[in-house]
Amino acid sequence: MTNSIGEIRDADFMFVIGSNTSEAHPIIAMEMKRAVKRGAELVVADPRSIWMTTIADKHLKLTPGTDVWLLNAMAHVILKEGLCDEKFIEENTEGFEALPEVLERYTPEEAQKVTGVDAAVIREVAIRYATTRKAAIFYTLGITEHSHGTDNVYALSNLVLMTGHLGAASMGLNPLRGQNNVQGANDAGATPIFYPGYQRVDDEAVRKKYEAAWGVDLDPNPGLNLNEMMKVAGTTIRAMFIMGEDIVMSEPNISHLEEGLNNMDFLVLQDIFPNETMRFTDVVLPAACFAEKDGVFVNSERRMQRVRKAVEPPGQARADWEILVSLFAAAGTPLESQTVSEIFTEMTSLAPKFAGITYEHIEKLGHGIQWPCADDESDGTRYLHEGGVLRGRGLFTAVEYRPSLELADDNYPLVLSTGRTLYHYNAATQTRRAQGLKVKQPEAYVEMHPKDAGRRSIGDGDWVDVVSRRGTLRCRALVSKQVQRGCIWMPFHFAEARANLLTIDEGDNVTGTAEYKVCAAEVRRVTGEPKPTRSSDREVEFLPGSFYRG
Amino acid sequence: MPFGDGETILDVTRRAGRQVPTLCHDDRLKPAGACRTCLVQIEGARRLAPACSTKAGDGMQVTTANERIDEHRQNLLALYLVDHHQGHDDCEDGAPCELHAMAAAYGAPTDWEPLPLARAERPNDDNPYIEFRADRCIACARCTRYCDEVEGVSAITMAKRGIETTVSTADALGLFDTTCELCGGCVAVCPTGAMAEKMPLVAKAPPERKLHKVRTTCNYCGVGCQMDINVDGYGNNGKGQVAKITSPPPGTLPSDGNLCVKGRFAYDFIDHPDRLKVPLVRNAQGELKEATWEEALAAAAKGLRAVEAEHGKDALAFVSSSRCTVEENYLVQKLARVAFGTNNVHQCAAT
Amino acid sequence: MREESRRASVPEELQKAHAAGEDATNVAAKTTGVPAADVFGVDTFFNLLGESEKKLRVCTGLSCRLAGSEKILAQAQAAGLGATESSCLAACDRAPAVLKERRTLVEITAADIKRSGGDWKELDSKEVPQHLRWSGHVWPAESKPKTCAINLAGKPNWSGAASTLATEMGDEAVLAAIDEAGLQGRGGAGFPAAFKWRSVRGQAETKRYVVLNADEAEPGTFKDREVMMKRPDLVLEGLAIAARIVRATEIYMYIRGEFEIPQQVMADAIERTQSAGLYSELHFHIHSGHGAYICGEETALLESLEGKRGQPREKPPFPTEVGLWGKPTLIQNVETIACVPSILTRGGEWFKALGKTQPGSKLYCISGHVANPGVYEMPLGICLDDLVQAAGGYIGKLKAFSPGGASSGFLPASERKRPLDFKALAEIGSMLGSAGVVVLNESVDMAWAAQEQLLFFERESCGQCSPCRIGTAYQRHLLDGYISKRGQDGAKDSLSKLSMVSKEMIEGSICGLGQTASLPLTSAIQYFPGEFA
Repeated sequence: MTNSIGEIRDADFMFVIGSNTSEAHPIIAMEMKRAVKRGAELVVADPRSIWMTTIADKHLKLTPGTDVWLLNAMAHVILKEGLCDEKFIEENTEGFEALPEVLERYTPEEAQKVTGVDAAVIREVAIRYATTRKAAIFYTLGITEHSHGTDNVYALSNLVLMTGHLGAASMGLNPLRGQNNVQGANDAGATPIFYPGYQRVDDEAVRKKYEAAWGVDLDPNPGLNLNEMMKVAGTTIRAMFIMGEDIVMSEPNISHLEEGLNNMDFLVLQDIFPNETMRFTDVVLPAACFAEKDGVFVNSERRMQRVRKAVEPPGQARADWEILVSLFAAAGTPLESQTVSEIFTEMTSLAPKFAGITYEHIEKLGHGIQWPCADDESDGTRYLHEGGVLRGRGLFTAVEYRPSLELADDNYPLVLSTGRTLYHYNAATQTRRAQGLKVKQPEAYVEMHPKDAGRRSIGDGDWVDVVSRRGTLRCRALVSKQVQRGCIWMPFHFAEARANLLTIDEGDNVTGTAEYKVCAAEVRRVTGEPKPTRSSDREVEFLPGSFYRG
Repeated sequence: MPFGDGETILDVTRRAGRQVPTLCHDDRLKPAGACRTCLVQIEGARRLAPACSTKAGDGMQVTTANERIDEHRQNLLALYLVDHHQGHDDCEDGAPCELHAMAAAYGAPTDWEPLPLARAERPNDDNPYIEFRADRCIACARCTRYCDEVEGVSAITMAKRGIETTVSTADALGLFDTTCELCGGCVAVCPTGAMAEKMPLVAKAPPERKLHKVRTTCNYCGVGCQMDINVDGYGNNGKGQVAKITSPPPGTLPSDGNLCVKGRFAYDFIDHPDRLKVPLVRNAQGELKEATWEEALAAAAKGLRAVEAEHGKDALAFVSSSRCTVEENYLVQKLARVAFGTNNVHQCAAT
Repeated sequence: MREESRRASVPEELQKAHAAGEDATNVAAKTTGVPAADVFGVDTFFNLLGESEKKLRVCTGLSCRLAGSEKILAQAQAAGLGATESSCLAACDRAPAVLKERRTLVEITAADIKRSGGDWKELDSKEVPQHLRWSGHVWPAESKPKTCAINLAGKPNWSGAASTLATEMGDEAVLAAIDEAGLQGRGGAGFPAAFKWRSVRGQAETKRYVVLNADEAEPGTFKDREVMMKRPDLVLEGLAIAARIVRATEIYMYIRGEFEIPQQVMADAIERTQSAGLYSELHFHIHSGHGAYICGEETALLESLEGKRGQPREKPPFPTEVGLWGKPTLIQNVETIACVPSILTRGGEWFKALGKTQPGSKLYCISGHVANPGVYEMPLGICLDDLVQAAGGYIGKLKAFSPGGASSGFLPASERKRPLDFKALAEIGSMLGSAGVVVLNESVDMAWAAQEQLLFFERESCGQCSPCRIGTAYQRHLLDGYISKRGQDGAKDSLSKLSMVSKEMIEGSICGLGQTASLPLTSAIQYFPGEFA
């Protein structure tokens, strides 16, 4: 997030796209509701009707995967209406010249044909966004989990830059992180292209710095991203160390992945619960959960906050960092830093963005520290780009619409999206072990439009098979007008109906993020299964993205 | 005392370090002025005024304690107590009771004969988390105003009137059958433990005052709410047990002291019997068998080194986790880069 | 604004849904878009909504009790009518009264109950055939326009002359006339009317409202009922003049729900004047109450108008600054507003001179142990003996009286010569209030009378602030304890906490209900200590 959570309540205009905020980020939704109650305008762009659309001034119900068309059309309107912040563009950005030519063909009228959103509404929303000073954009995986996820983000970024909605409170471009430490994992350099603090591995000066600090020669070439690793697991990749993830639940196109894992030579898994991936594992290391260890999580607004040990881990389980320290030693490369505090300081001291952040400094300020933080005198940064764009100039990137990789066809006429619900979290290893949540929402379902259901003789609560080119799974149908005709939607939390058996493992060519939001599918009624009682009528959402933009 | 635009008498007196008691106030809510504990005397005014809802004015002379105010507080608190669960200790089987503490602090009489309970309960509410205990309720409406003004859910309401005024839901249904999102904010703001968390009560966990709180960061979504883990130090044979999770005070960044259903209630996984407790190593027969840490770590290092030796460093991949800490992610990438020389490190941030 | 009016219609939608036998909470929530829980909160707040299955309610007001309403209730229940108790129905002059759905039936007898044969629909008052609009006895019985500002016996004047005159005079002259008349609010507080008008006029906010407070529910009071029944012309004309002065075009008339007939009369009057082209720039809205005494308190009334639970607001800010939907609002009682036309046509000086000790003529409601209960328009400041003389004399020997509704407590016979005005009554800790005078003779047990009044306040407390919510219940609990032990040693100990409770109710309560609710008991003890020995 360029801006802070606490600023949301003071926004005057909120554009929420690809985020089922009330389900995935209830606390952010709370702040948005507060702003709405105060009189702020809320525009939600989402293919489905979700809770937030019930309080929104406008719901742009776009066809899945057509975000670039919508966003470019908004930019087109802003350009044509002369609503660009020319001073901001002049002083703070580069690459604006390329924009008008590309945007020319993205008229609201043409956009309506592709996205299904009324041209007048696109025009109105664009004008309201451009002419409201405290106008903020929020997005999550509905934007990034596409083959054109990066393009989507560029298109959003263009809107922010051309209107100058940056560098002050209650505005900016705000990806909402779906997991507690998405931000921190990226900050810490757990990516194939960056050392900690977004310093590129192929930048020689940076590499030299780390070689000096770590006392080894480092590989100058970027490694494989997660999606690439999974595709070549069992072929190029022969061994894997996995900490805290259940890849067999969470990765797309599971059948292919399971085949690959069967061919692996060696697999180490470090986790708190047994999981689906354990079937393929050679060594299992029992870890501590968040309540049993010390450390730092970084939230969506770049706030580095302490995690504190409250209780001892069960049995012989140990904190992940302790296990890793031991593993370094076992691998013959013992570490100097031995405590979490020392490890943290080792990281921040080598990354200019985090300079000055230490445990002592966090304790002293009492509320975590939002990076960038120049030194141990700084309070951190509430919103980015104050008084000018960070690191030079904001770059416009004109993008063209590219359709999703797999479109509906005669055999698979429905578009499947996946997401999450309020009551569960990711692979649900924790939430399905919470008795109350299990009662509230015990099992998987596929949401489909009454017309689509009717044509297939499917009734609400019927058992169905959901089929894609990659697999089949069985669950119950939830017939609802929340989804558009031609679209279906599933939560991916449930092990017995793993939505990711169906999803596609092709993804964004920059980030490697798979296109969880669009694949072609079909639903077939199953006979002979007992008619169950309905467990839930809740709707759900998508996962937050790994795409990082500083 | 100087004061800012829109500041109330309560804001100013707090800044001045004066004690003004409140029961219905919460910094996140619009002032209600309903509990009447915060009445103060404004020079020239005939009636006492609520500090929480009265705006500070130029030259205003405010008295926060004198004989008149003391008498008012004592009589008022005595009245509260005749309509409240009277046993101080068993009242506090969950959260501490602000009313009992206040009555003690202001010397209110505690020997007035109690009224029979007139507030309706909702005994058939089978939601797993939130219990309404009518005998402890003081009808301050913090919970219903929170549910409306902060959470924006409006699942609960004040119902009936007069002495029968109670907290209810639409048609007095169980919370599962309402718009409730089970955020538990009502439990957090309740001053008397009338809105209580069921799980620790059912488990007969020690009362909150016997637990110690550890401030930490929630492990679910990316908002990073601060929370207090309430630890029973004697639980789990002295290893400590998480008895419940409570929210920090309003104003605590980044979420203003708010939590959602997962953060506040989905902690029972911590003590779940399924937890991995012992290292496992797959034996020659292909079965995962318990091992010592030394054996498991040695096996892990050996296995990775063997593949590195046979297929090269880029045959290794390291999957880190956005669920784990910064330090742990740092160590995994360092393990990949330093110990094994590969940049094949990433995490499932996308899932 | 659309959302505001949707919310405002919550009680009405609930009423409709209940009548249709529907799932009221959800139906009303769906129609209005208001959260179902909030709708339920409203539903359970108002007597006529939440317990809408109860079709028959028997008045428990003091005058009805004196007329044997307790027996009527018992008989009705025994006859299978599913009857329940009701707070004062403002028919004290024609006791005992019952409420059948939303229509008040008066002078109900045992024979009426018997005739209904266990079917509430069949219950009728023989004295007043249901097809007729019943009304009460008024005095003077003949038109006396020169001495009576309202003149209930006068024929309605639909010419709009006073309103036209007001336009000719100009706003400042109208305000000057009201000032000169010394018109004080006749709802209970006695606040100078012109001051409020000026205050609303002077607000920066240009959207303003005028609200008529016709939620007449103070036990012993029924004058506004008669004004609306007999002189709706004056009410509309007064409102029209006030609206012009404060620059409002929306006028909300909040009429208590039990006044089905007065509501109809006012609706007809609006139709009549507007179709005649009068007040065409104004919009009159009738809002029915749904059974809550507290909504007579002006800020609770505003909450109720907005479709919420009728809980009073903290003052300041006063409604003249922040009123209906946050806008400046002029709220006046029916009687007050009905005085306005004659003040303009006959002059402020004339009105002022009508009073004896304070300005104006005044509508006194008299009931209880008097020969001819009814509404008496007399000079403000006459005493009880004057009033009762006009009402045909006492029945039995005077023991005590309430000068201004239940909230004014009780006074002993020795106060029979005291002027019944705002000032003289306030001097002895009582008040003129709504001038609902209830006379009690020597047959009445003062502990019983106090208990009846305490039950009323307990039932009608809104429950928002604790001094009143708990205090009204606790003082009644203490009195019950005393009555149950009466005659035994130490019975009086039951009342030992009373002074602390009543002190806190006065000190801590948000609104007048809680601040006065202990007066019936404390005044009874003060003036009749022998009965609380």
